[in-house]
Amino acid sequence: MPEVFAAETKKTSHSPKVTRHKYIPDKSELEAYGHTKNPFCSYNYCPDHINFIGKDHSEKIILLLRRHPITNIPWIFLSIILVSAPIVLFVFGLLDFIQINFLIVGLIFWYLFTFAFIFEEFLSWFFNVYIVTDERVFDVDFLNLIYREITDANIDQIQDVTVRVGSVIRTVFDFGDVIIQTAAQIPQIEFEAVPHPDRVAQVLRELRVEEEIEKLEGRVR
Amino acid sequence: MMFLDSFNFEFQAASLLKIPAALAAFIYIVFAFVVVKQVYKMTETLEVGLEGLLKAVSFLHLFFSIGALLAILIIL
Repeated sequence: MPEVFAAETKKTSHSPKVTRHKYIPDKSELEAYGHTKNPFCSYNYCPDHINFIGKDHSEKIILLLRRHPITNIPWIFLSIILVSAPIVLFVFGLLDFIQINFLIVGLIFWYLFTFAFIFEEFLSWFFNVYIVTDERVFDVDFLNLIYREITDANIDQIQDVTVRVGSVIRTVFDFGDVIIQTAAQIPQIEFEAVPHPDRVAQVLRELRVEEEIEKLEGRVR
Repeated sequence: MMFLDSFNFEFQAASLLKIPAALAAFIYIVFAFVVVKQVYKMTETLEVGLEGLLKAVSFLHLFFSIGALLAILIIL
């Protein structure tokens, strides 16, 4: 017999109900949504003890995002080669023709540069973050040693959110770009290679709804 | 005599390399100092609880680069 009416089944979702009426999930719910105490994680929902420049006291951080850890593999692989190259050359006797004092100086420089490369790449990954608060979205970029760029837009200025997941690796490891079109002076904010882009988009959608409700109720901060 | 010639050549090569190597090490110290400043800037921008560790690593890097300059001056 064909079904005329089927009651809607309740779907359990990992997408959080973020801020509606300032609803704060309990600890187990937070963990299911992606909350963690690990400072190296690349997706943290309602992170603890995090502060950033320009944050208002009443502002609550909803998401802290970084590039997916898998995007670090190229430089980690290169670092392993850089660290092991002199050892391999030494084992095969390819450095025997160099005098010991020149060799020591060469090794000192080699490992200093290698360390600097590793440290810079790590800092670049660790501090290039995307932050979603209950009021704004932030894109913090450190493009080189001294150049810092912080872009922010109010949640109510978000016009459109696009999720882009475009390759096999990105699909398998569930990461991609979230492109946010805004009505702010900077028309586009891009969260590059962030984990769970669909969840991020849903959080942004809920925040926009919450902002609309706040406007209607006259609770705008 | 051959030994003396060889010794003389090595000594001259080391002396010739000393100045550019020391200059490179000095430039590296400046770079390491910029890295320390950069870490301070970054930790001011975002506080996640690893500020002390990252600052310590950047200072260690700076001290190693100063040590490298001293090593070059002594070894070459």
